[in-house]
Amino acid sequence: MSRSGVGLSAECVPLFEQLKSRKLKYIIYRLSDDKKTIIKEKTSEDDDLHTNALPKEEEAYEKFLAALPELDCRYAIYDFEFDVGEGKRSKICFFTWSPDDAPVKAKMIYSSSKDGLRRALAGVHTEIQGTDFSEVAYETVLEKASRGR
Amino acid sequence: MSGGMQTLPPTQAPSSVEYGGDEISALVLDPGCAWTRAGFAGEDTPKCVIPSSYGAIGGKEDSKPELVFGDNGINAIRPGMEIKNPMSDGIVADWDVAPQLWRHALTSRLASNLSEHPLLMTEPAWNPPKNREKTMEIAFEDFDVPAFYLAKSAVCASFASGKATCLLIDIGASNVSVTPIHDGFVLRKGVTRTPLGGDFLSNQIRTYLASINVPISAHYQILSKTAVDVGKPAEAVLRQFAPGQEPTASYKTYQEERVLTQFKECAAQVWNGPGPLPPATTPGAADQSFNFGGGRTFEFPDGYNLVFGSERFRITEGIFTPRNMLTHPDIPHPDPETTMGIGSIMASALKDVDIELKGQILNNVLVTGGASLLMGLTDRVNSELGVAFPGPRLRITATGNPVERKYAGWLGGSILASLGSFHQLWVSRKEYDEHGPGIVEKRCK
Repeated sequence: MSRSGVGLSAECVPLFEQLKSRKLKYIIYRLSDDKKTIIKEKTSEDDDLHTNALPKEEEAYEKFLAALPELDCRYAIYDFEFDVGEGKRSKICFFTWSPDDAPVKAKMIYSSSKDGLRRALAGVHTEIQGTDFSEVAYETVLEKASRGR
Repeated sequence: MSGGMQTLPPTQAPSSVEYGGDEISALVLDPGCAWTRAGFAGEDTPKCVIPSSYGAIGGKEDSKPELVFGDNGINAIRPGMEIKNPMSDGIVADWDVAPQLWRHALTSRLASNLSEHPLLMTEPAWNPPKNREKTMEIAFEDFDVPAFYLAKSAVCASFASGKATCLLIDIGASNVSVTPIHDGFVLRKGVTRTPLGGDFLSNQIRTYLASINVPISAHYQILSKTAVDVGKPAEAVLRQFAPGQEPTASYKTYQEERVLTQFKECAAQVWNGPGPLPPATTPGAADQSFNFGGGRTFEFPDGYNLVFGSERFRITEGIFTPRNMLTHPDIPHPDPETTMGIGSIMASALKDVDIELKGQILNNVLVTGGASLLMGLTDRVNSELGVAFPGPRLRITATGNPVERKYAGWLGGSILASLGSFHQLWVSRKEYDEHGPGIVEKRCK
């Protein structure tokens, strides 16, 4: 259980498994309306998948960022693909999106409920704690994902 | 803080359905060294904030002294009233008085019957297990609460800023503490503190004023005052006390403390370079040799006023370089040679943290606590961290909202206790009856 008592809905982990088997590019999770469970908000569309031509990766990532709210918090999983000269790599990133201008209650509930979701998802390579768009910018995440861990 | 919230009358609990809460309205208590903060869960500020200091009247030999709590009680002039404080270094030192203080904070304006409200209390990360059990025992045995939870104040503050992982620097009254937090858990080995908080700063100001022979007057001593020119003797009419009716020395000290608080807010400032703070060679003269951004006038309650120049920086410099603290034989101070400054405790807190996590933590440095509002302090913390951990990923956050800065721990606890999902975490009366106070270690991590 998380520090807040917030639990996971049944769909959280199976969606992550789908992403691991490359059927999804990203998943965005949010708190349910009664604030008691974490549920799916949105998943990637088929177009976002198989961005084999790497320049398209940046485009797909921008599309994902656009789905994050400016004034509210979210969790997200993104299958980040890149090539820094050693061939194509792919790393799964876990995002805690908590913009500075979000309401304090939202910040509180998302940060205190994070460990429940995080621990249920095995196989995350990089964790990103984002409080503004610069912290989740393509270059920043590329640098984190391509570094050893 | 989310805007547009309405203030409710003091005795009314907030609507519990607003954020998925239960029907019960929990109480939240954040006991600090200088202030005890209490309020209803779900609200954004504590409705009842009282000094942790209290007054003790009478009580010789076989009779117990009468205790008075709250601003009105302890600021009133009463002959023989001693001002004391049940807290020390952020934790309870006097277990007879602390529960009475807490009860006063909870019942004087909020709830008449404590047995109807679950209670969440916050604690410092260095609270020993014995104290944690004792706190839970008081909640259930003395206050008779239906459910209880003890949350780490640093974790609450971290969550309230939207961070599950961070380095929390809390500049309180009795000390400065640094707490590394990962995924909502305190990295216990890294918790470090140094006695250079607001109280230390007060004594630095006292020391400086003593060195230039300026006595501190307190508001209660003054009946009326006349405006005088800078540096000229005060022309004030002082309150006279009949023999035996004078306030005690501890009362005087406490009242002076209120003046020193104003001094910190109006005149004190933290040096931010360029370069280290130049030493004072001869009093007055050397201070003209560097640019300290002009002087600031401070007027004491008796009307005496002075322009403070570079001294404004000297009184705060000890927080960062304890070697440079001001000392006076009659004023207590920590050892200038062995006491660690803020820069050193930050370095020490992160010493054993693994390198990957260290990066994440340094990217999320949070500054809270009333004394952190000192002008220029967060900038200095930033540059000290930059020296200790060179690298581009340093990111320091301190809310510009002073209320949130002072009550960060309380606010986090308030939201946590108001969440509907939190009911699974409360320790119930039944569980306490079954397992005893030892359950606090298992359940309140």
